[in-house]
Amino acid sequence: MKKRSLALLVLALVCVSSLTPLLAACNTAGGGITGGGADTLVIYNWEDYIDIGLLDEFAAYYRGVTGRSLSITYSTFDTNETMLTQVMRGETAVDVVCPSEYAIERLMRAGLLANQTELVTEFSKEYPDAFSNLDNVNKTVLGKIGETFGEMEIGDDVYDMRDYMVPYMWGTLGLLYNTRIISEEELEKYGWGMLWNESDNPELENMILMKDSVRDSYAAVVFYMEEYGLLPDGVSETYGKPYNELTANELINCTDKALLDAAEKLLTEQRERISGYEVDFGKDDMINEIVYLDLAWSGDALWAVEESEYDEETDTYQLGYYVPEKSNIWYDGWGILESSDSKLAAMMFIDYMCSPEAGARNIGYIGYTSAVDQEVMKYDYDAAQALLDVEYLWYANAEECEVYDDGAGNMLFRFEWVEGEEYYLDIDGDEVDVADEDALIPLELETDDDGYYLLPDGMKDSYPLDEEYIVCPDSISLFYYDEGRYPEITDNLGVMQDYGDANEDVVNMWQRAKAGGGVPSSLWWCLLAIVLFVGIVLGAYFLKEALKAKPRKLTNGTHSDTPSADDIT
Amino acid sequence: MTNAAATVLKPKRRFKLTKRVFSYPYVLFMLLFVVIPLVMILVNAFLDADNTLTLENFKDFFTDKSSLIILANSLLVGVITTAICLIIGYPLAYILSKMPSGRVLVLFYVLPMWVNFLIRTLATKAIFIAIDVPLGMGTVIFGMVYNYLPFMILPLHTTLSSIDRSYIEAAQDLGADSSTVFLKTVLPLSVSGIISGITMVFIPTISTFAISQLLSNGKIFLFGDSIQMKFEQGLYGVGSIMSLVMLVFVLISNFIINRASRKSGLSVGRSLW
Repeated sequence: MKKRSLALLVLALVCVSSLTPLLAACNTAGGGITGGGADTLVIYNWEDYIDIGLLDEFAAYYRGVTGRSLSITYSTFDTNETMLTQVMRGETAVDVVCPSEYAIERLMRAGLLANQTELVTEFSKEYPDAFSNLDNVNKTVLGKIGETFGEMEIGDDVYDMRDYMVPYMWGTLGLLYNTRIISEEELEKYGWGMLWNESDNPELENMILMKDSVRDSYAAVVFYMEEYGLLPDGVSETYGKPYNELTANELINCTDKALLDAAEKLLTEQRERISGYEVDFGKDDMINEIVYLDLAWSGDALWAVEESEYDEETDTYQLGYYVPEKSNIWYDGWGILESSDSKLAAMMFIDYMCSPEAGARNIGYIGYTSAVDQEVMKYDYDAAQALLDVEYLWYANAEECEVYDDGAGNMLFRFEWVEGEEYYLDIDGDEVDVADEDALIPLELETDDDGYYLLPDGMKDSYPLDEEYIVCPDSISLFYYDEGRYPEITDNLGVMQDYGDANEDVVNMWQRAKAGGGVPSSLWWCLLAIVLFVGIVLGAYFLKEALKAKPRKLTNGTHSDTPSADDIT
Repeated sequence: MTNAAATVLKPKRRFKLTKRVFSYPYVLFMLLFVVIPLVMILVNAFLDADNTLTLENFKDFFTDKSSLIILANSLLVGVITTAICLIIGYPLAYILSKMPSGRVLVLFYVLPMWVNFLIRTLATKAIFIAIDVPLGMGTVIFGMVYNYLPFMILPLHTTLSSIDRSYIEAAQDLGADSSTVFLKTVLPLSVSGIISGITMVFIPTISTFAISQLLSNGKIFLFGDSIQMKFEQGLYGVGSIMSLVMLVFVLISNFIINRASRKSGLSVGRSLW
């Protein structure tokens, strides 16, 4: 008996041991494990959401600062909910997570996040210079977060999310559209109504994609209601004022039953007019012109616009991104879990991610907008080099622009918009009005063999972006003043909170809207067709039998009448 | 070594490498990946978000009209898919079983199964888009039939080709014409194949979600999609109940199918599955 159980044990062990590496491999899927040593750091981030090379560089930087080596485990999740389950059920030991705002809110409410302001104060005593990059975070974004999450009441205390999280990437929700089908005037006129084809453009019918995501679709539908005066009458239970007086922020966070019902009605109507719901194939379908309009996040949209066809003659891309007047602003941020044993490494990692170089490299890799302030990145050598690598920036070329001196010793670059229409940019990419073009003194800058302007000797020490060449001011302007990438943050952009207890109601509303009411008639037709088919086959068989029986009865009849009854059966 | 001591104490029982021992890895696997998840689903069904015991989830599901409609839709799609598979698959399997090269030809119908079904479905979608067929219920049913047809043909072909020719010859000798031979001998003898074919097609179709999502751009929302959405949104309680409901339907259809095959009382012609 004992020996048998021993054999069983051995078998079990063999099974488990053969499974363990498999499971371990699953856990670190997509991960890069770096080095090996005393300290560990487990990072849990969105898929494809970091320049993976930064991990190794951070490990080296950490060793330089603290003298200890660091082993980084990087794992990924695909939805906030996956992350929340893993972390809240304590299934994975994680040090740093990077979810969206509402998931951070949920983690905070569960008391799982560590106060980073306190951590920085504590660790600064030992490493005073290690947290300087945190100041690089875009202040406007932080301010926007403060408006919504600055005074969160959890239990009896008031918390500020900015103490618990450092933003990483941010962006807007908007419309990715085909410029050949939809004009900018149309977008300005109809706004979110475009998703309901309010412009009655016959080409758009069944050519629209919605996001297969409750939160984004809900945001779109409430803004649509607001634009078209479709909001329910009466006073909001949550905010105590009429629905049509709610701000963008209040509107997308309102889960009153009246509003949910109205949203459900409109989303169900919309279902009949659109091509479908997507989360990942929308960009490709837009580029391939399978659909003409898609509800999209800014990062995805910018990526798609760059990938789409570019028409040299009219200087337009096949795709465009438009943010209607009121919209949703979202962000993902780094949080440190209270249960973490490597809070120092975690905090230093977050700081490292806020360096201009890391910000620029992540933009280059992911395409989304980094929360590192663009004004900091703009004048940073490493950031410029990283952006030059991914061709967001390029060097100024003699074919593209001419260089002038404005008389006061400042360089001006003259570009042509279209033939004969020119504009002037200074070396930092800011547009300059030139009153008197004749007063400009043409500068003869040296170029290399390919026509790229070489940096004049006198500027080599003062120019921050490169040692040899001049970075094209037009590319700087295109990159940093792109409204899609860096939209103006106003009150018309609302931050979405966690729905809390209303989550289930909203999900159910979304399910009803997506499923449509009742059994689709096509199903009944299918069933009818099958029944008919079977009926016809059976009928044909019996008809044949009946036809066959008749002549036999006749021939039999000439001889005798008796067997006829048997024959028929 | 306590183990050694124990063996000394009980010298009579000796370890034998019997057939049973070889089943242990399988039993362990079943325990880990079938029984434990099922128990977890069962436990989750009775817990709310704060992990307290509740029956609210049942109430939520059975009072939600849309969930029930979605369930009815799924069952209908399952029935239609199975019927179409049978209508297409039976004549095909019958013809193949009569041909001398049928054994090889049937391979061609199984061949697509070697390509991952997601890839096949995405390819189907690309074809539909290329020939301008609007995605919707029609394409979803096409995709389902396309994916599950081999599961219908294989058991049918196995059963039909193993029918003893002498039954058919006997029927012909007794004066039956070809359609009567088919209806009175071949069809009853292949009931076991039909039943395993129906089992193989109906049960997976009522729970699929990827095919319906991909081939309709998410516009056709079936029970599988609904369960997936519930789990994705962290509504584990309701999601678990729905999984249980699905399980009940699988058991019911299994039960009916078993009863039918026992009632027909035919063991002639083995089934593949």
